[in-house]
Amino acid sequence: MLLRAAEKTIGCTVMTGTSGYSYLEWVDSGFYPPGTRSAAMLGLYGRSFSIVELNYTWYQMARSDALARMVATAPADMLFAAKLTRTVTHEREDDWREQVVRYRQGIAGLKQRLVAILVQLPPDFERTVANRRFLAELLDGLHPLPVAVEFRHASWAADSVFAELERRRVTLVSVDEPDLPGLFPALDVVTNPALFYVRFHGRNRQGWRSGNMQKKFDYDYSRAELLQWCDNELAGLAARAERGIIFFNNHVRAQAPRNALLLEDLLKQAKHGPGA
Amino acid sequence: MNRQRFILHLNVADFAVAVERVADSTLRRRPVIVAPLQAARAAVYDMSDEAYHAGVRKGMLLSQAVRCCRSARVVPPRFDLYRRAMTAFAGEAGSYSPALEYGTEDGHLFLDITGTHRLFGAAPDVGWRLRRQMRSKFAIDPIWSLAANKLVAKVGSRLVKPRGEYIVADGEEQRFLAPLALHLLPGLSDGERQRLAEFNIVRVGQLASLSRTQLYGVFGRRAERLFEISRGIDDGVVTTGSAREPVIEKEHIFADDTADRRIIGGVIGCLAVQLGLHLRSIRMAARRVVLSLSYSDGGRVVRQTTVRQGVSDDGSLQRLALQAMQRGLTRRIRIRSCRLACDRLHRISPQLLLFSEIAGGTSGRDGGQRGEKLQAALDAVRCRFGSEAIRTGNQATLH
Repeated sequence: MLLRAAEKTIGCTVMTGTSGYSYLEWVDSGFYPPGTRSAAMLGLYGRSFSIVELNYTWYQMARSDALARMVATAPADMLFAAKLTRTVTHEREDDWREQVVRYRQGIAGLKQRLVAILVQLPPDFERTVANRRFLAELLDGLHPLPVAVEFRHASWAADSVFAELERRRVTLVSVDEPDLPGLFPALDVVTNPALFYVRFHGRNRQGWRSGNMQKKFDYDYSRAELLQWCDNELAGLAARAERGIIFFNNHVRAQAPRNALLLEDLLKQAKHGPGA
Repeated sequence: MNRQRFILHLNVADFAVAVERVADSTLRRRPVIVAPLQAARAAVYDMSDEAYHAGVRKGMLLSQAVRCCRSARVVPPRFDLYRRAMTAFAGEAGSYSPALEYGTEDGHLFLDITGTHRLFGAAPDVGWRLRRQMRSKFAIDPIWSLAANKLVAKVGSRLVKPRGEYIVADGEEQRFLAPLALHLLPGLSDGERQRLAEFNIVRVGQLASLSRTQLYGVFGRRAERLFEISRGIDDGVVTTGSAREPVIEKEHIFADDTADRRIIGGVIGCLAVQLGLHLRSIRMAARRVVLSLSYSDGGRVVRQTTVRQGVSDDGSLQRLALQAMQRGLTRRIRIRSCRLACDRLHRISPQLLLFSEIAGGTSGRDGGQRGEKLQAALDAVRCRFGSEAIRTGNQATLH
């Protein structure tokens, strides 16, 4: 089953990680040792993964001093993807253009360690003329930084959208989430040959629209599900990109790091055989 | 190892203006000044951000403030409304944690969400959700900040005022504070800041570089506290409503502002009697009496008197309240309202005194059983016919 994925991933560097690393419940769940405080978590995270998606930059504007202090505690080879601030995407304010400039200044401290800026758009962000203009202006504002766009409304699943992203060399984020109406579908479209970007949100249909993060992202991927994903999706993505990053967002009870490690293990097996 | 704490600080900037804007939507798109309208030398109680940028400041004379910002709308303060708004905010925040601390009408609220991550998820998400709830429910946009203690969370809020959010990561406290100006650090008095400025110390990091011994030489017993706050150390707990000391209070707003000490004293005496009646009805005695005086220009003064042995009789309470008044009435400005509060309460001991005629105790200056009997008789009359039914000579009528 893994043969097809193994063949296709040769030549493509695939890295796995989690969306965020600072969760106290990961201490309770055993991923971090008992008594671990937030300040020590990135260092410990770095023992298992070499890339992380920073989600706190969604809650507050990226600040170069704070990021510089965080980078100082990270392992030397750690890479980062950083979410764009919510006041530009979800709660857009009148001065969002200035905020983009501030964001760029804020993440400048990550320097070469920045793999991608994640532009996550809200579920009600439909493909309208106004929204298309906004997105175009936003991508202009972020150019030439590496950008990945995550749509959550199905209206954006259109060839013209993918073509424009391809023209701009902007990555389309592939998502794995519950199969519910209105959500952006799981696609293996690659719009940027330099990078593909995957986010595993979990497939919790009941909790998805509960409004409670602890229910929404409470999902544990089985080995069979990940194997099937590798075969169906990863093979197509890896065949058309030089590098791929995969993040698990199902953080509840440390399912995200467990699933990410399992996927990494599966990928190693695919490349080197089960005994590797 | 100490358990990691997560303290959220929510702060509604220009709280009085924010509440007035919710009550009257026509105030939303223009500068607003909150100040008493009738007083001759009224002072600004609060102002909107637009008015602030036009040069208006708290405590400034209203006439001067209006000259600074001619387009501003001036509205009188409504403290009762602000208190009710604070209670409503607290109710909303209380759904995330029972450990909640808030002022009566200042727009500041602390929430200890330590240990709630399994229920509500990561702490930054709670801050964001709470803010979103406040916006949708009350149309008010609070600043929120998250840190490991109240001190650092409050500094975070100050940095982003009038809107925004700040998350200070665990262990980052000292490095976060170091480059900041001293005026951003809560807990430093003006005098202490001036003293530090004399040593050319203007940043928190400079203060933090001093040892306890060095600080002790200048600040004496305050050295330990200065040592801690400059490093972002604060073990203060979020004092919940139920854990907070019980307080009973009464307020009187004068129909016409007055500077007549006789009238003010009479009203305060009357409030003391009402509080005494309440205290005795619940068999409690107070060790502290706190008097808040609001001047007609918007200024406020708070004075307190404390006693070692709790009191509940009218005479003692009146005496303590009038002592506080003597210390508080220092300005030649009329008084708009006064609030008297009794706290540090304890139960009146049912144990009879062995030598009551000597000890005096809670029965007033006259002491002994006669005083107690007189008080009981007065209480019986007041309980039946109302607290104003019978008065001593120095009491005013409140109606």
